[in-house]
Amino acid sequence: MKIPQVGDDLVPIKKFITMKQILMYADASGDYNPIHVDEEFAKNSQFGKNIGHGMMVAATISELMVKNFADAWYKTGKMKMRFRSPVYPEDEIQTSGSIKKSEQIGTKTKITCSVEIVRQDGDTIISGETSVTLKIP
Amino acid sequence: MPVNYSLLETGSTVSDQKYTLTQREVDLYLDAVQDDSVRHLNGSGTQLAPPMALAALSLRGVVIDLQIPGGTLHVGQEMEFKDSVRVGESLRCIASLASNNVRGEWRFMVVNLSVLRSSGDEVMEGKSTIMLPAENKIE
Repeated sequence: MKIPQVGDDLVPIKKFITMKQILMYADASGDYNPIHVDEEFAKNSQFGKNIGHGMMVAATISELMVKNFADAWYKTGKMKMRFRSPVYPEDEIQTSGSIKKSEQIGTKTKITCSVEIVRQDGDTIISGETSVTLKIP
Repeated sequence: MPVNYSLLETGSTVSDQKYTLTQREVDLYLDAVQDDSVRHLNGSGTQLAPPMALAALSLRGVVIDLQIPGGTLHVGQEMEFKDSVRVGESLRCIASLASNNVRGEWRFMVVNLSVLRSSGDEVMEGKSTIMLPAENKIE
């Protein structure tokens, strides 16, 4: 693995959100909040239509960290995020991040990243911070 | 019996559930989030559960046991993954109330999450902030 440096960008991820995916996530998570799965309920909500589960979208941040830091994320990963605006079916999202801090802790290096998910119109859906601790020779 | 949110006290356990994350559930989860990174890692043999599937599992009990009403919004989430978990492990998911306040039209609740493996070791901890439509309070 290349030694990560402050300022490095993480390899970003793009996804296309579908209603089918939202329904699949409801089945997988057990979260059938009607704002996600009931078209009539969602029409009368402040959003006017169904929205995706925040944790479904946030999963792309975990995917970003696995793709950039492999299984270290499983054992040392931390994330803190704010859900800033909803994601709708047919939205295209991009999950990206960059390294903002690198700290030596004994024989290990703690890498802290800023991360965000934006949709096609530039609105930020989720913003936050992640960290992972690596053994770097 | 409906949950009276106004009576829930800070520090109280709001959910305590045991689950076994099966390969079928993990596959369903990975298809839903369109994530192939975990399958790539698992190519070496050991079948590891995706960390965010643990987080989703820990929230499942909160949604069910707190009878989270339609229109509830998830506004913030913190998570710390402390060890990898193999598919098929028995897990205990505990949620406790960290805060519970009404502000305007919304009730804000912060829930602490903990996922333990059968040895009692914690594999994930987290904190969810949710806002419920305040008319759902029963007072």
